[in-house]
Amino acid sequence: MTLGPLLSLLLVLAVAPVLPGIATRTRAFLTGRRGAPVLQLYRDLAKLLRKNVIYSRTTTPVFRLGPIVSLVSILVAATLLPLDGHTALFGFSGDLVAFTGLLGLGRFALVLAGLDTGSSFEGMGASREVTVSAFAEPALLLGLTVLVLATGELSLAGMLGEQLAAAWARTLPSLVLAAAALFMVALAETSRVPVDDPATHLELTMIHEVIILDHSGPELAMILYGQALKLALFGVLVVSAVVPRALLPSGMAALALLGGLVLIAAAVGVVESSMARLRLNRVPQFLVAAGALAVFAVILLLR
Amino acid sequence: MTVLLWAVGLILAGGGGVLLLRRAPRLGERLYGALLVGGGVVGLWPTLAVLRGGPTLRVTLPGSLPGGAWVFGVDPLSAWFLLAVLGVGACAGVFGLGYLAPERGHRPVAAAHALFALLLVALVGVVTAQAMVPFLAAWEVMALSAYLLIMFESEQAAVRRAGFIYIVLTHLSTLALVAMFAALSVHAEGQSFAALAAGNQTPGAVRTLGLVLALAGFGLKAGVVPLHFWLPGAHAAAPSHVSAVLSGVMLKMGIYGLLRVLSLLGAPPPWFGWTLFGLGLGSGVLGVLWALGQHDLKRLLAYHSVENIGIILLGLGVGLLGLAYGQPLVAVLGLTGALLHTLNHALFKSLLFLGAGAVLRATGTRVIDQLGGLGRALPWTALAFGVGSVAIVGLPPLNGFLSEWVIFRGLFVAGGSREVIRFAVMGAAGLGLIGALALACFAKVAGVVFLGNPRSPADASLSPGDPPPNMLAPMLVLAGVCAGIGLMPSLILGPARMVAVSIAPAIDGGAVSAEWGGAAARISAFGLGLVALVGLVLLLRRSLRQGRVAQVAATWGCAMAVPTPRMQYTASSYAAPLLAAFGPLAGIRRHREATAFHSHPVDPVQDVVVVPVWHELERVSLRLRRIQGGRVRWYILSLIFTLLSLLFYLTNSRFAP
Repeated sequence: MTLGPLLSLLLVLAVAPVLPGIATRTRAFLTGRRGAPVLQLYRDLAKLLRKNVIYSRTTTPVFRLGPIVSLVSILVAATLLPLDGHTALFGFSGDLVAFTGLLGLGRFALVLAGLDTGSSFEGMGASREVTVSAFAEPALLLGLTVLVLATGELSLAGMLGEQLAAAWARTLPSLVLAAAALFMVALAETSRVPVDDPATHLELTMIHEVIILDHSGPELAMILYGQALKLALFGVLVVSAVVPRALLPSGMAALALLGGLVLIAAAVGVVESSMARLRLNRVPQFLVAAGALAVFAVILLLR
Repeated sequence: MTVLLWAVGLILAGGGGVLLLRRAPRLGERLYGALLVGGGVVGLWPTLAVLRGGPTLRVTLPGSLPGGAWVFGVDPLSAWFLLAVLGVGACAGVFGLGYLAPERGHRPVAAAHALFALLLVALVGVVTAQAMVPFLAAWEVMALSAYLLIMFESEQAAVRRAGFIYIVLTHLSTLALVAMFAALSVHAEGQSFAALAAGNQTPGAVRTLGLVLALAGFGLKAGVVPLHFWLPGAHAAAPSHVSAVLSGVMLKMGIYGLLRVLSLLGAPPPWFGWTLFGLGLGSGVLGVLWALGQHDLKRLLAYHSVENIGIILLGLGVGLLGLAYGQPLVAVLGLTGALLHTLNHALFKSLLFLGAGAVLRATGTRVIDQLGGLGRALPWTALAFGVGSVAIVGLPPLNGFLSEWVIFRGLFVAGGSREVIRFAVMGAAGLGLIGALALACFAKVAGVVFLGNPRSPADASLSPGDPPPNMLAPMLVLAGVCAGIGLMPSLILGPARMVAVSIAPAIDGGAVSAEWGGAAARISAFGLGLVALVGLVLLLRRSLRQGRVAQVAATWGCAMAVPTPRMQYTASSYAAPLLAAFGPLAGIRRHREATAFHSHPVDPVQDVVVVPVWHELERVSLRLRRIQGGRVRWYILSLIFTLLSLLFYLTNSRFAP
């Protein structure tokens, strides 16, 4: 086994906090403002890690475990993806279910931590988070189904790596549609416009931000970093679905990944500055549309 | 087989003992508990031997019994279900000791324990019977002892109503099964299952009829939508340890029956696989959706059983479609997934029902919106319930994830083969939706009941502690088994596959075993890695604290000065946006007044279809009462008419027997 998967994992872990910065910067640029520095999240994380925490009197150890389980599940999910374009650090047949399961575990932990505070705001956020994810998860699985059917491979490493490269030319239209569906899911899963707005300043309108209202210090840092990493992972999914990185030499593959991630983050910023957030009861329709795109991609495969 | 008979004897002796010693309840119950656990452990011994590939066991009861020879036996399929019957049965029985102890003075506790033992023995009988008549006999004993247990708190009108609906529908189920066996025995020479199998190998009208009746009878028992509506009421009404066995084990008898009939009849046609697949998808999505709207903890869990039966049927459907389309790998994965989920659901659902029982005993209520913050008062119960919740949602690294992983692989493994692609797409979306809704629902239950602040003052004043050890230990054992299966899947995947292959001998077991490869070991490593990494981050987190003490303050109320527990989000408001997205399908009725808002769940099948239709039927049939006017000449006339028609029928050469 080469060092490729490990090095690329470290690379992704290191660059993940840039992505929200790029998205915010793009949004600021397009709306005529200067915006926060691209590296702002690193500074925030460093500051939060040094700080002490405040716990609510109501909370139990569940509140303390929430951010940790959430971060770990996203970290483990990262090891399932073929970050270097060929193999994953850790993968097995059918690990796409493990990928969605891990995202679910992280969400479960954060939602429980939110409910543990006994605050109605965090209860509201929990309720909205699970509502959105109830529609995001089928769409995500349908998007991955397209990749399974296109490549005939059940592990993420195969369906985004070498098998995809082999099937790429034949199934490109379907793959592009699947990538579009995955991008839409990514906006929902990482709490971005049009599903959620990370820049909103009113608790009543938040989804993700309001669940983590009571977290502070290193635990808040874990959540923020986990969220950035999640955006990076979805970026890897989308980029790998359309760019057959297994065909490129390893240096080029890494560059393609980085370039792709920057583009995805910029695209998130473009979406955020060009459209308003959807009303909460329209969000299911947005995600069902993502699922429909994926089903359409399957139909294209059947030609 | 002798060992298993000994186990049955021990369980029966426990039931008899507690009845005889009802004047000395402490001694009697202790004896009953010991004999029940002893019976369970002794019975697991031969069961595990069969699952390890040992020879199948067989015994014919001596003496002359009605309906031919009473053959009982343990083959891999029986053994698989025996695991659930004995393991869950013993745990729930022990829990029952503590659970029913406060009732000693005013309710027939000893009789309830004896009936519980009888129920377990009947369940053993159902899964080991190898002939029609003993199967139906055990089935009826099971149904009736369960009825009596459901009626334990029969002074409540809701319990009596639930019991009545249950007893009517369980007999409909038995009726369908009698008809099914009658149909299948047309071509069979004898009453044993072996004879039925030999007589029905060729497809035909009789076989089709048999399959349809089996689906109706066993589907009723399993609680498949739209035949599920007896289930939530009955499972909520029964004492909690009985609910655990009803939901965890007795529902599975429907699945067992279907599998048994399928193993007798050979590969069914594709339409049957598609029917199971569709019913599974429908039950799964609707079951969890209706669970989300429930306000009653036990009814909520009961609706989740409908959901999980759906997942099992979906796996079964995938397996049968794999058989029908000549895809052995799909068949093995689908059937294995269904079997695994059957066992897993038996474990975590009984765990959750026991947890609900502990909550009920501690607080005296099952209404979710009156509970809250119980995690502090009942830490071990909360831990066990939490493990059960993660398991039932299908999240790694527990056992629910394992069975869903196997079923997903069944959906996808055939790749682009055209017949299979349809169920891959529908199954992936359906299982995704079911999983996400289940996550929403169990975050609600665990979060609202165990976390936050107490919601009603009564609840805070009770200040309960964890239940006594005889209630706590069974929960922790079940939670441990859930975690064990999730972290060590290689222990259970092999036997499950063997059982799957034994159902469908057409599959070449050797050809598919290579495919499993190291996946089980990798899942172990994956689960253990997840747990280890959480531990590692916890340690890191501790080092970041650098000896500082965390500050403690009130929950940040967004500048709200005096937050009160009543401001907490309730379970109903938590579920509202999700249910609103599904419209009328969600089965929620809302009442808005100027200052109040109520929502209450209705069962879209029972309350919208069955009850109105039933009332209409009742109205029409009351008109027939006139026939029973008490005039003897009308009775004599109808007697003579019946006799004459019978005479004509029998003398007509076409129908002559």
